[in-house]
Amino acid sequence: MKNRTLTFSIFRYNPATPEIKPHMQSYQLDETTGMTVFVALNRIREEQDPSLMFDFVCRAAICGSCAMLINGKPRLACKTLTRDYGSKITLMPLPVFKLIGDLSVDTGTWFRHLSIKTRAWIHTNKEFDPKALEERMDNATALEIYEPERCIECGCCIAGCATANIREDFLGAAGLNRVARFMVDPRDHRTEQEYFEVVGSDEGVFGCYGLMACDDNCPTQLPLQWQLAFVRRKMAVAGLKR
Amino acid sequence: MLDTGISPQRSIGRNPRMDLYLDLAQLISGFLLVGFLWTHMVFVATIIIGVNTFNSLAQFLDDYYLSYVGIPFIGLVALIHVIVVCRRIPNRYQDYWRHARTIMHFDTWTWIFQVVTALGIAFLAGIHVFLVIMGWPIEADTSAARMHAFWWFYLVLLILGEYHAGFGIYRQFVKWGWIKRKTIGFALKSITVIIVALGLAALWVFVQLGGALR
Ligand code: SF4
Ligand code: SF4
Ligand code: FES
Repeated sequence: MKNRTLTFSIFRYNPATPEIKPHMQSYQLDETTGMTVFVALNRIREEQDPSLMFDFVCRAAICGSCAMLINGKPRLACKTLTRDYGSKITLMPLPVFKLIGDLSVDTGTWFRHLSIKTRAWIHTNKEFDPKALEERMDNATALEIYEPERCIECGCCIAGCATANIREDFLGAAGLNRVARFMVDPRDHRTEQEYFEVVGSDEGVFGCYGLMACDDNCPTQLPLQWQLAFVRRKMAVAGLKR
Repeated sequence: MLDTGISPQRSIGRNPRMDLYLDLAQLISGFLLVGFLWTHMVFVATIIIGVNTFNSLAQFLDDYYLSYVGIPFIGLVALIHVIVVCRRIPNRYQDYWRHARTIMHFDTWTWIFQVVTALGIAFLAGIHVFLVIMGWPIEADTSAARMHAFWWFYLVLLILGEYHAGFGIYRQFVKWGWIKRKTIGFALKSITVIIVALGLAALWVFVQLGGALR
């Protein structure tokens, strides 16, 4: 195959130099075999422009820090092969999250806020006994908990979600998925009604339009449609009961 | 006490279950309207069997006052649906538009068409109901004359209505259900194709009759 020359059109803005307005900047690069957008960005930074800002840690689709809009769609740069695209690729930072600079956004603060808002930890009345054997959990329940726990907090489902783009307080698929995980956990003693207070509103599950951009864009393919529908049904029952 | 993140300050004033009720109202009114639309199309399609079948069905609905209960009831449901659904329209629709243009995501686009078709339906269906009531009772020859003259109007209404119903119900299944999106999408597309075909056939028959019955 003949080597292509790729043109990357990249969003540039550094909040530290506000006099330079946000703009798109183009870079050209020879494509190499198996090149990912992550590899391309590193080469651009090394060979052409050391000021380019973007995030990565694991380069293996595990840490969730390299998410960006690739040709408009939320994707992980390290998991996206350039050969699946045409020779012109547009890169934008994820919307919704606070911009750190260029392609780098602060997902951390958002997700921390989410954890606090949904109280994403086990709530129990039980006294912890360090000497006792750990309580057993059946395998099916454990799997049901592990599945949503695979979320890498990349923010793709939030950036792709029309609702999250429109209303700031929307928990999004990642948030509702997180709550779903605690709902099935037998160690968590929160009642349905207590969950309802947190997610039984337009900020939570009833704000979702059901457009499934989250489900289509999650790089770890979490079953977000299932999770959202599960929370919705559970919250509808809880709300009608009282 | 478990610290569950509930803020007592917000528990006063607004009914905490309001968002749920509105969502359910949207679901139920939507299903009723789709149910009505599909039955309506099947009823109209009796014209394909024959003028007499159509007339006796209309007569039957009239005699047992089903039309007199049904029409205002559906009108009310439609009104509720409109009111409830309006809350979904973003304050700044430009935001939604910009977002849809950026991420180029199919389902996100269909939602915009959902709003557009809704406006079209509200307008056209209003005229349609007005015309039908003005020409009461429903009979094949008045209907035929109407459709003969305004076939394009009915063609547009048919397509808008079916599109809106099809995608609306699809989205409700996706939101609440445990059926795969592909499966439910396929089922609804099939139903929609059948109903549109029925509608087109009925429209065709009416337009032919329109000339003959005059
Ligand atoms: S399905 Fe709901 S959470 Fe997912 S993208 Fe759509 S509105 Fe957002
Ligand atoms: S649910 Fe998926 S898309 Fe959303 S943050 Fe987690 S891994 Fe990313
Ligand atoms: S660098 Fe960790 S997910 Fe891409």
